Amino acid sequence: MSPTTSTSAPPRFADLAVGDAAPPLVIENLSRTHFVRYAGASGDFNPMHHDDTIAASVGNPSVFGHGMLTAGLMARVVKDWLGPEAIRKINVRFAKQVWPGETLTFTARVTGREAAELEGGLVELELAATNQDGEQKLTGTATAAVI
Amino acid sequence: MAVDTSAIGKTTGAWKVTVERGPVSTFAAALQDTNAVYRDANAARDAGFEHIPAPPTFTFALQFWGAFTEDQPTDPTGGQNPMHQIMGDLFAKGALVLHGEQEFEYHRPVEVGDVLVGEGRIKDLYEKETDSAHMTFVVMQTEWKDADTGAPVVTEQFNLIARLKK
Repeated sequence: MSPTTSTSAPPRFADLAVGDAAPPLVIENLSRTHFVRYAGASGDFNPMHHDDTIAASVGNPSVFGHGMLTAGLMARVVKDWLGPEAIRKINVRFAKQVWPGETLTFTARVTGREAAELEGGLVELELAATNQDGEQKLTGTATAAVI
Repeated sequence: MAVDTSAIGKTTGAWKVTVERGPVSTFAAALQDTNAVYRDANAARDAGFEHIPAPPTFTFALQFWGAFTEDQPTDPTGGQNPMHQIMGDLFAKGALVLHGEQEFEYHRPVEVGDVLVGEGRIKDLYEKETDSAHMTFVVMQTEWKDADTGAPVVTEQFNLIARLKK
């Protein structure tokens, strides 16, 4: 596990160009402990996320992560890069389940920018979460306000 | 099999929730988010917030943490949540129900101390046929507003997919 949090000042709108990418967030070796911790923090105790016996009874190889855990980590990439108040809108699509032992890489890339009248502006971002084999788990878009 | 589109626009519930510090910090920790703004009120103020802010996806868990019984409005569905009815019927037929998509639109930051009122409704309901499955899509929208001012705070959109094998 190597959580990364940006401590440097966020980039300014004038410095952001289409194609620029956020520092990726890498979560190594996702574990059942991560799932259980998210279950407790979110109140989502669907047994598919913490009980291997029940998960296997409906054909799963094991428990799998909450989609909203992946979504929460995805949002982190944007806020770690552009600031905790920057996100105006985020939309994520869940493509594949996330399994214990996987390493996930979360990325965000600028696809558009629109200057505000006075200062700064909005940037459009393309989001993705991918495992160690390049399988996409989540895709999405976000709009962030940058000064 | 045709889904009853008359459910579009119907309410799925109403809630009043309080944003508390412990749950916000716990939620950030579960996302391994070490940013001090979620744990230190001074760091939050230095970052330009009035109080400790909630992580972006926290409002998804608000009904679990902050919907105190004595604060709750009368259930506008009368105990007949149309989403539960639609998904319950499909689940009983053997459908696999999946969370397909999620969206948050922020009108202002959510911070500790906020009291929000939310109302959910079915925004869209449609079906798709594939060679192997019959898919039903339910899009639900929850508008969270400031309980004091009525100003919009967060609009959430939650897409469920029920996949019934042919």
